[in-house]
Amino acid sequence: MKSTLRNIFHSPRFMVGFIIFMVMVLTVLIYPYFITRDPLVSLGKGFLEPGTYFSIYDANNASTYRMELPEATMNRLETSLPLADRQLILDFLKAKGADLSDLDTSNDKVGELIEAWTANYDEADVKASKYEGFTTQAKRRALARLNTKLSSSASSDVMTITRGDGEEATTSSISDTDYARVDQVANAITLPLGTDNFGRDTLTELVKATGVSLIIGLIAGSIATLLGLLVGLLAGYIGGIVDDILMFIANIFTVIPGFVLLILIYYSVGQESRGVVTCAVVIGLTSWVWTARSVRSQVISLRNRDHVNLSKLSGHSLFRIVTTDILPYIASYVVMAFILQVSSGILAEAQLSLLGLGPKTTDVPTLGLMMNWAKLFGAYTSSNAWWAYFPVILVIALTSFSLNLMNTGLDQVFNPTLRD
Amino acid sequence: MTKILSLVLALVMLVSFACIATAETTDLPRSETLYFGGQQWGPINGYNALSSNMNNSMVIASAPRGSRTVMFETLYMFNTLDGKLYPLLADGDYVWNDDLTQMTVKIKPEAKWSDGTPVTADDVVATWDACVLTKNGTYTGYAAYIDKIEAVDGAVVISTTITDGKPTNPLQVLNFLSATYILQKDYLATLIARNDSDAAKILEDPAEDIVYSGPYKGYFANDQLVAFVRDDNYWGASDAMWGTLPAPKYIAHALYSDNDAALVAFTSGQIDVNQQFIANVQKLWEEQDLPIATYMSEEPYNICVTMPSAWYNMEIPVLQVKEVRKAIAMAVDYDQIIENAMTNQCPSFAAVPRSVMNPTDGEQALYDHDAVKELQWVGKDIEGAKALLDAAGIVDSDGDGYREYNGEKVTLNACCPNGWTDWQAAMEIVAAAGQAIGLDITTNYPEWSIYQTVFTKASQTEYDIFMYSPAGAEPAAPWSRVRAFMSSDFLGVDNNWSGNFGHYKNDRIDEIISAIPLTTDADEIKALYTEATKIYLDEVPSFSLMYRPETFHAVNESVWTGFPEYNDGDNIPPADCTDGYGIAALYNLEPIK
Repeated sequence: MKSTLRNIFHSPRFMVGFIIFMVMVLTVLIYPYFITRDPLVSLGKGFLEPGTYFSIYDANNASTYRMELPEATMNRLETSLPLADRQLILDFLKAKGADLSDLDTSNDKVGELIEAWTANYDEADVKASKYEGFTTQAKRRALARLNTKLSSSASSDVMTITRGDGEEATTSSISDTDYARVDQVANAITLPLGTDNFGRDTLTELVKATGVSLIIGLIAGSIATLLGLLVGLLAGYIGGIVDDILMFIANIFTVIPGFVLLILIYYSVGQESRGVVTCAVVIGLTSWVWTARSVRSQVISLRNRDHVNLSKLSGHSLFRIVTTDILPYIASYVVMAFILQVSSGILAEAQLSLLGLGPKTTDVPTLGLMMNWAKLFGAYTSSNAWWAYFPVILVIALTSFSLNLMNTGLDQVFNPTLRD
Repeated sequence: MTKILSLVLALVMLVSFACIATAETTDLPRSETLYFGGQQWGPINGYNALSSNMNNSMVIASAPRGSRTVMFETLYMFNTLDGKLYPLLADGDYVWNDDLTQMTVKIKPEAKWSDGTPVTADDVVATWDACVLTKNGTYTGYAAYIDKIEAVDGAVVISTTITDGKPTNPLQVLNFLSATYILQKDYLATLIARNDSDAAKILEDPAEDIVYSGPYKGYFANDQLVAFVRDDNYWGASDAMWGTLPAPKYIAHALYSDNDAALVAFTSGQIDVNQQFIANVQKLWEEQDLPIATYMSEEPYNICVTMPSAWYNMEIPVLQVKEVRKAIAMAVDYDQIIENAMTNQCPSFAAVPRSVMNPTDGEQALYDHDAVKELQWVGKDIEGAKALLDAAGIVDSDGDGYREYNGEKVTLNACCPNGWTDWQAAMEIVAAAGQAIGLDITTNYPEWSIYQTVFTKASQTEYDIFMYSPAGAEPAAPWSRVRAFMSSDFLGVDNNWSGNFGHYKNDRIDEIISAIPLTTDADEIKALYTEATKIYLDEVPSFSLMYRPETFHAVNESVWTGFPEYNDGDNIPPADCTDGYGIAALYNLEPIK
């Protein structure tokens, strides 16, 4: 036993899989102690990009520090008028036939560029004159947006903030050399993975969802393995009519594609009664067949071994023979099958939820549900929000990758033909 | 030998696959074709405009808010922007007699059928007769209001049915004008004769040879694409109508498997006009720099004319308590629905306070805003909702965090069809509101095929809170919406698609609903609508979750330009370039070089 364990933990494949898996499990366990907020609470509105967000309102009240960064002006210019916008101005001026000889997109020409823009741009004129390349609504509107942006960001060194209104209003000013420290702003939040379509913190949700999906995988895997083991042992050891009946049932399950069966069961259960446990149980109940078949074939080959016959002759009960003389010989296989069942249980939940057949959504997040909502809200089409689905895919991939690695690692240890 | 044989077989298979593949693609010149998206799902069954199961929604989509007049035409075209009817086959405005029992509509002398014969009043009469014979959708929709249609001196005379000595409902006759496709008398005679006057057989006839009056006709259709080609002899090219032919030579709609596939096609320029909700549509031009535009350049991007609403099932005992209905409605965070479910593509309830009216200026002017101000809740009022429930005696007495009603924990479901993204998101938020005020509300998303059979039943206890939209913009609105929200006309009606899905009953509102169509005085109408709004906001038989356009309208200008836009002076509504007066857009399009 000890040497087997040592062998297992010396298998590099197993170890890599094990470490990845444990890192995920530990994250799931530890993370909630640091971030205590409810993973389903909505923080923002819609997809927000990953980053640190702080309240502009509070930033105005934080202590100010005077700093003069050498590149401040340039940074400001590049943020307020990025290169793409400068190019748009040039394109427009060119289409209009204005004099371009003195203009380019460099930082020191920005002032002249804006001047030329103000002199030449007129919304009504653009619509009426139909300059080449600017005839479409999309292009005309891009110009109008740029114009609004330019006129609202009129440059000045000092900005005035008015507090309150009417007679009691007080004003204060912010100069372009005033800075605040982010951790002194009363309200700031770092969202490493942004928010999902409901404005929920994707990372917190993802951690919770990983936990739930692992539980689904564990429950589904346990049920499938236990059921498969039971059926396989009985069918293999008793044989005869019992074997025929059990294998008949198993064959029926084999012939009907498992996933189709799952979809049908999920569909008929109805979303209202589809909790996480129900989902896991259904997955488990539909995926025991292959375990049962493999266990059966192994048991059949064990059935006529000498030690089993000896036990029989000694009058041991069926239960005792199976548990002491047969089970230990197939235990390694069962453990490996269990790991694979966990992995496929997680995948099955993800697939079903992606189709909108997952657990009901108000209670807990699961990996599949996160994918489903991301898909419904166009995270990879119109909304362009990679953070809402890519980390989820990565976690699903890593989970099944690590479990499969552990499985092949174990195989290497247990299977004499694969041993180095 | 076997090797050669198998090789030959494999080759034969490859070649035949290739043949199939090439045979399926019929080339339409891209620069002359306007591609649509989001309207046609699945292959078409035919061109029979009498029938409602042709699944040919590019040409047969009859609705009072504006029927699609691509192939078949209506008497008038409705314009959702100004709420007016514009004549199409009709000549000039309709004329009512003094007691609103008879309406006269003249027919344009220039209007012609595709076979060259003129459209006459007799055709309108024959169309109505065919509707009566087949008991089709038009018949069931209007038979209660239209007594008979006759041709008198070359004009159409529509007589209304009479209830208690007054016309039953003149407003519904207006809906008939903009919804009903007019078909040719001679063709209808042929159609009826060849199906032995059997209603079911007539409605199943695909009518491939149908005579039409519109600018396009069927070109080809398979399981991947439906296409229509312009009829260059279209009568509307005369100065009496449009003065020119519509710009695209072909219009086509590819059949996509789902919304995502259609969206990908739209962003890549394979679809020109798209009728589909696109989450965060502005990112398509702001971040991806695509030549895509919506009707309005800024939020809300669309003209919203309807209000998808959550309906309370009055058969559920706890929902018969007015305070519970109001408390849930008060607790819902509507801003979040609008930002999350609609990604801000509709006005907020702070901008357009809730009532029975849609956000268009015309409807908003029809009720007294100050009189109902007290009743208009903005949402996310958790404390107020809790107080209301406490006052009504619905409290949590066993300390499990949920309130009880008659000793039982209040457990409700919030339902909408699966895959209806924005509605699902809205129901999630309603459920969250319920949880916040101690009512155990959970979401449930049945498939549409099941959902539609349940909520339209005369009686059901499966769905407690469920979503559906009342009538949007149409000639009879907002009266039709008040009726859809609260009229007892729909009680006990099975297969009820028209309104009051929660089976609410209130005698006073029934009086108001029957009074409005017969009232002509503007102040009186306003008083009635204000009272209806008061009852609606006080009783909360349902509550609006958001404002929403009836058709989404986004265009990709890779091939065509000149699409209508907000305040461009043309007064063309964002109706997908095909519906009601929206079809005027087809005459303004220009190809991009």
